[in-house]
Amino acid sequence: MPAMRRAMIPLARRRSGGGTVYHDLGNLNLTFFASKKAYDRQRNLKVVTEALRRVCPELDVQATDRFDILLKGHHKISGTASRLSRKSSYHHCTLLHSADRSALSSLLRPSCTGIQSNATPSVPSPVANLTDHAPSLQWEELLEALVQQYNSEFGLTSALTPVSPSDESLFPGVGNMEAELRSWEWTFGKTPKFRVETQLELRDEQLAAGCSAYLHMEVKNGLVESCRMDIPANWLPLRLSSTLSEVLLGERFCPHRAAAALTVFLRSESGQLHRRLCNLCEVLLAVMG
Amino acid sequence: MAMRAALRCLSVNLSPRLPQLSSAAQVSATRLLCRSGFPRTLSTDSGQCTALKFTEKHEWVLVESGIGTVGISKYAQEALGDVVYCGLPEVGQRLEQMDEFGALESVKAASELYSPLTGEVTAINTELAGNPGLVNKSCYADGWLIKMTIEKPEELHKLMDQPAYDKFIKSLEE
Repeated sequence: MPAMRRAMIPLARRRSGGGTVYHDLGNLNLTFFASKKAYDRQRNLKVVTEALRRVCPELDVQATDRFDILLKGHHKISGTASRLSRKSSYHHCTLLHSADRSALSSLLRPSCTGIQSNATPSVPSPVANLTDHAPSLQWEELLEALVQQYNSEFGLTSALTPVSPSDESLFPGVGNMEAELRSWEWTFGKTPKFRVETQLELRDEQLAAGCSAYLHMEVKNGLVESCRMDIPANWLPLRLSSTLSEVLLGERFCPHRAAAALTVFLRSESGQLHRRLCNLCEVLLAVMG
Repeated sequence: MAMRAALRCLSVNLSPRLPQLSSAAQVSATRLLCRSGFPRTLSTDSGQCTALKFTEKHEWVLVESGIGTVGISKYAQEALGDVVYCGLPEVGQRLEQMDEFGALESVKAASELYSPLTGEVTAINTELAGNPGLVNKSCYADGWLIKMTIEKPEELHKLMDQPAYDKFIKSLEE
């Protein structure tokens, strides 16, 4: 999260579940809309693999039974997620053409170790860009091949048509949907309950002293449900550590919100205590990302 | 009255395989089926329509003391595959019949859940957060999804009862 904030990369949560994806203009997102009856992920992925084989016959691409597409049997170039509704469905997948690989790996690395929850564990895979193995594959060439293969597979004759996804006249209600999808309540407020258990390294620069403390926090629906800090009493009086814990209760597990709540609290002390409290707050905010 | 009607339905289900049972035998057959984990089709609250009802979206609702418990049917959980995450609404959320109230994520997809009735969510099954597989293992009991008030009881009467739902499933499989 801190790396994302620094790079000003927005975060969105999708309605189709699954793991985290890094998107930039080198990562193609394909969405296949169909009726629920016609929902067939393997058939859609066949469109992708066949298209790739046509433009680059030497490419070894294969869809797996987990609906990933692998290059040379072990580099993941595509992952899948989907959603079923009453009568319709969508299946979307990524396709790594020329994404920024170093941004991808640094942004998908968890910044907070010590998180425990019942969430399905993420299965990281080694990834590759198509252009790593087929450097001459142009973006437009890829799009054209996909359109041709899609038409061929489904017996259609549609041309590639650019659309603006924010066009309210084409997609009535899309503005409201976007607002909802950007909201904190949707993005973070549905987070499954998780625990943070980690050691905090506290520092008093003026005295060149330090100590270790222990943080135990439970977060439910993105809000701090419980917070316990075991800080040596000779570093900070117990009343201060426990009051600080109380200040965080019910706040969003978010450094901005926490910082705002803590600012008022910090004003109440001065001197050595103030210095150490500031350091503690900094370390806490770093845990929150 | 509800008991007799349900027993009639039960004997219709059983008749291809068993000879006609006497009334007393029918009652004990029902009790046996309920205890063996068969969907609880009966509950003896006075004056309430309490048989298990089904929607075309494969949700079931069971009413007890004016509160409807909602879940998905065996057919639905089999079609879904292993559920790994349950996205459920907030307590207090008001739902119209057919409103999307959440989604169940499985290997297959994130599948939407539709409210069988109009009412307000009074409880959500918090066990599912740590154990989403309950939806597969015990779809009619421990894998319940939400409880809600029944604002329009007439909606309940329009839902399918067990035999109608079984017939509906057969028609889908053809």
